[in-house]
Parts: sequence; structure tokens; C-alpha cells
Amino acid sequence: MSTTIRIDHLARVEGHGGVTVEMEGGAVRGVQFDVFEGARLLEGLVKGRSYEDISPVLSSICAICSVAHSLTSLKATENAFGVEVSPQTEALRDLLSLGESIESHALHLFFLAIPDYLNYPSAVALAADNLPAVQLGLRLKKLGNTIQETVGGRAVHPVNAVLGGFGRVPGFDQLAELRAALAGAAADCETMLEIVAGLPAASFFRAGIAFGALVSPREYGYYAGEEVTMALDGESETIPAPEYKRFTNERAVPHSHAKHSTYNGRPYMVGSLARLVVNRARLGERGLAAMKRLGLRFPPDNPTDNNKAQAVELVNDVDRALRIVESLLEHGLKDEPPVPVAPRAGAGTGITEAPRGILIHSYVYDEAGRLTAADVITPTAINAASIEDHLRRAAENAAPGEEAALTRAFEMIVRAYDPCISCSVHVVRRGHDG
Amino acid sequence: MSKPTAGIFGLTGCAGDQLVILNCEDELLDLVNLLDLRDFLMATSANDTRCSLDVAFVEGAVMSRRDEETLERIRQRSRFLVAIGACAVWGGVAAQESNGNHAALLEDVYGPLGRQYDAIPARALHELVKVDLNITGCPIEKSQILAAIANLLQGDPPLLPQYAVCAECRMRENNCLLIEKGSVCCGPLTAAGCEARCPALRIPCIGCRGPADDVNTASAWAMFEEKGYTRADVDRKLRTFAPKGGRA
Ligand code: SF4
Ligand code: SF4
Repeated sequence: MSTTIRIDHLARVEGHGGVTVEMEGGAVRGVQFDVFEGARLLEGLVKGRSYEDISPVLSSICAICSVAHSLTSLKATENAFGVEVSPQTEALRDLLSLGESIESHALHLFFLAIPDYLNYPSAVALAADNLPAVQLGLRLKKLGNTIQETVGGRAVHPVNAVLGGFGRVPGFDQLAELRAALAGAAADCETMLEIVAGLPAASFFRAGIAFGALVSPREYGYYAGEEVTMALDGESETIPAPEYKRFTNERAVPHSHAKHSTYNGRPYMVGSLARLVVNRARLGERGLAAMKRLGLRFPPDNPTDNNKAQAVELVNDVDRALRIVESLLEHGLKDEPPVPVAPRAGAGTGITEAPRGILIHSYVYDEAGRLTAADVITPTAINAASIEDHLRRAAENAAPGEEAALTRAFEMIVRAYDPCISCSVHVVRRGHDG
Repeated sequence: MSKPTAGIFGLTGCAGDQLVILNCEDELLDLVNLLDLRDFLMATSANDTRCSLDVAFVEGAVMSRRDEETLERIRQRSRFLVAIGACAVWGGVAAQESNGNHAALLEDVYGPLGRQYDAIPARALHELVKVDLNITGCPIEKSQILAAIANLLQGDPPLLPQYAVCAECRMRENNCLLIEKGSVCCGPLTAAGCEARCPALRIPCIGCRGPADDVNTASAWAMFEEKGYTRADVDRKLRTFAPKGGRA
């Protein structure tokens, strides 16, 4: 007997995606993680445009990752032109990306994932029974947005981060307010951990997983770093950013029109869990304690643990953001203009960690600073192969005849990856037939 | 009185305007008490996809046959349709290429498979269906969507500024980037409502809210020319978010 399980519109993910799994008896014949979002062709559209216009246009690839897209774009262009930004700019960019991650993780955990684990259709439904939990999520989410507004000038599609630095460096008073907000969030982080620790276990298969993440050169973060570590079966390899094609070499796969990124022929996971695999030694004290508390073990063998990893990061991010703000306040903020940028012919690659994993922008410019080629590889495009692999294994593990349970499992698996579908259409895409 | 039924939808965009709604952290729980939110796929998996709606908020541009069908269905079931964000109002960032070769661009970005995709050049909602209210911005401003919802609940017509970003910029007493620094700032031609967000950060406006209705375009063009910019230079900037660019 053959069955097809099809989820046409995945709810509570950002963008439009679906899942189709075909089974014949106990065997899985095909698995597809589909993306229906219309093709916006933004990389094509920026070709020929001047270097100054690239970051604002490509930031609008995706809202939830708009800070990551802006900063990755700036990094790529600055690398192409050999621009060195000031340490203060580096610190503010770090802080801005922590803000994005706090907002995104709080949104994902409280609006998308926790309702899943507790069997609610939405955070609004959850609020009817547990208002404090939802209010807590909203407070943490707002904290992330306050950082993005203070440093980036706007919560969605930041405007203040520009080539060479910032349009206007935030003032002392603004940062002092931010310090107070961050210091006040420690108790909320504790309660959040308690909620996550109390969630029912979710495991659909256990096996070795391959991971990839940007190496944090100093402290655990999202912005700084020029190398990616791929970890697989207890071994790892570190690859410099300009050689990113080695872990994104796309491969056509028979069951989907999506092209998949693999490393040594294997799908791999990017995102919170992958970052912990690569950078957990750089977590702060609170982050480390949170990791122990949630019982994460390494190497991880359950991709759904990505949700726990997000909670660990949330704790660490709030703590680290506070320390950055304190040190900026202590050292005195300079109202410095962006460093001047002189275009030249050349190529540049920027890699950062978006909240959901590695994001790559790679550009080629002509001598007048016009973009001649752009390559954007997003975390969800990279995760697509891993999501399909995970869905397949979950289907193989499932008891026959359990269609409803399996459908819910599929939704949970996909959401555990925190997919961002607006982003992913840049590489993964199928025509729809529904 | 029963609560008005509402839906929030996304066509092809970045979900930024829906995110702005979710970013109203202080108002969100009130909002869901005032509106009977029946269909909001980004936030809930329990949706009524057929019921009639008093008001529908639609984000994103129409960029596929699927979008066309979705928009038609939303229009049929909704009394009042609100376009939210520059993509829905003007076509947005993805509409820049409307004069270009769509098929070639598809192939350029996605390879030979691109030509098989369900993808058509970007259009704003009003090009396909009747739109009752346009709230622009990339993304929309929180204050404007909240005010518009409050007005709709009261039965008052929502008020949105018709003047240009320049007016707000002067109110904030910013230094003018065009006159004093000679930068191409699109403030003179762009719809206000953002409180001159970018110029306040010393960054030229790139026109993310699309063209303003109530502006003296002749004097704006004269000002640009005086600073050495041709109409084409400025138009190219303005077309980034609104394909029609600056008006005559
Ligand atoms: S208008 Fe801007 S924020 Fe809204 S969907 Fe389009 S790109 Fe995103
Ligand atoms: S100043 Fe211009 S670019 Fe900036 S938010 Fe306002 S309309 Fe958009």
C-alpha cells in the first residue's frame, strides 16, 4: 500500500513551505521539503548597481534575518575593497547581531516551538492557559528588538549599519538605557530555561549528524569570524571563508528540484546546535551553566535538540550583549563617522551566523565599484538537505498507520530547524503543483 | 458588538511587515482581543481559510500564479483589504526589474531550471484587485499599522501623511544631507511617516516608502540638478522600492 503525507502550507514558519513524504509499505520512496515562495531574484537585480546600494537591497531578502543579511553584505563588500573598520564598529556590529538573535530565538521558541511541544496551535492559544509564559517570550523578544533599534536604527531592515561603520553611533544615554534593560532580563532568562527544561522530550531519530558553523574567534557570537568548521563523526576541518564552495557545492537530487548543499557528500546542519558543537568552549559562564542545565551532550545525536541550543544561546546572548554595552560605556563612545570606502576591482566574501545558521554573501566588483556577480547562500538552503534526511529517517522509524502522529512529527522536525523560507528561495526552489 | 474578523497574509516578500505586527510586543495581546484573528499562517496553525473577513492585511508583491490565486481568494472573502508594505503597495524591491527580462533573470539566478518555475514579474496588489487602504514602508511603521487598526475599529477613515520625508526631517531639525552635504537623498520625493528615520542617522533616504503624493516635484528636481545629479541618477534610486520612481 502506498501513502503520501502532504503538508501543503506549513504554519508558523516564516514564508511558504510544505512537506511531501511518499511511502510504500514500510519503505520511504520520496521526501521533499518544498518552498513555494515566489522567486524575487534579488541577487540578479543588484547586478550593475553601485556598491553603496547593495546592502540595503539585499537586506530585504528576509526580515527575520535582515541584520544578518546587511552585516554579511557589508563584510563581503569591505573584504572586496580592503576596508578595515574600527574596534568600536566591530563591537557595535557584534551587539547588533546579538540583538537579532535574541529577537529571533525568543520569537521562535515562544511562538513557534514551545506551542508545538505543548500541543497548542499558536502562542495566542497558549496565552489563554499560560499567559505569563507568553508575556515572558514577548519581553525577551522586545529586548532583542530594542537592541536592534538602538544600534541598527530599525528593528526590521536596519538602516544605521553602513559600509565602514555606522551612520550615527548610539549615544551614551541610549546605551545606558539598554544596559538597564539587559541587566533586568537575567530573571526572565532563568524562567525561560525552566520552561524549556520542562518541555516533553521530542526525538524522532538518533544518529550521527554533520554540523557546520562559523568559528567565533574570541567570544561566542554571530558576526565576527572568517573561517567555518565542519564537524562530522568526531573529525573536523576548518575552511577559510573565500573557499566556501567546498561546503556548499550544490548537487541536484533525484527526489526534489531543490539543489542541496553537502559537505563530503553528506547533508549537514547549521544553526544553534551546530554553533554549540563548534564554539561551545567560547560560551560565557551563564551560557555554559544553561548548557549543563538542559543536559545537552556532545556530539549531539538528536536534531530536535536545536531548540534547547536556542535556549542556551538566548541566555548567553543576553549576558554577552550586557557585557559589550558595559565595556562600550566604560571606554567612552566615540561619535566616529564611517571609515571612507574606496571601490576597486575585486572579489569579497562575507560569512556570518544568522540566527538559523551560516549566511554567505560573495561579490565581484568592477573598478568603478559596480557589482558584476553576487552569490547568496542562506542557512535554510543549506539545512534543506538535512531536513529531508531527518524527515526520511523519522518516517522510516515510525510505526505503520500512524499518519496523524507522523504529520505532527514532520511539522515539528521542520520547525525545529527554524527554517526561514523567504531566505531559502535563493537557492532551493521547486515549482508548485498544488 | 462582535469583534471584527481579520486575516493577515503574505504573498511574495520577506515577511517583514507581518514581523512588524508581531513586533508590537506591548500591544499584541490587546490586538488579539480586539480583533477576531481567523487566518494568520505565520503565527498559528489553526486557521479558518474560508470564512469571510471584515478586514484582510496583505503583505508582499504578486510574483507567481499561486500569489494571483491567493490574492483573488482573499479579495473575495474580505470586506476591506489593506496592502501592507512597499512590496504590496508599489511592487517593492523585487519590481525593479519590471522593465528587464524576467526569464533571463530567472535563469541567471536559478540556472536552467529557473525557466520552469512559477514566477512572474512583480506587481503591486492594486494592479490586480481593489485595495481599500495602502500602508507603505519597507517595512511598515508600527505606529501607522496600530493607528490604522484603531481607526478601523472606530469606523474612522485612517489618516496617513501625504507630504514628503523632507517635512518630517525639518521638523526634527536635522542637517539637510542634500543641501549641506550634497548627497542624493530621496527625502524630497518620498512619502513621510517614518519621522525621517534615515536622515536623522545622517544617512540619505533611499525612498523605501515610495513616492509622496503631495510634493512640489519641480522644485525637488531643480534642487537635485543644482547639486549636479541628473534625473536619471535620482530615478534609479527611487525605482528601488517603487518601480514607477519619481513622478513627473
Ligand atoms: S515591503 Fe519590505 S518589509 Fe515588506 S515584504 Fe517587502 S521587502 Fe519585506
Ligand atoms: S528616511 Fe527614507 S529610506 Fe529611511 S525609512 Fe524613511 S522613507 Fe525609508
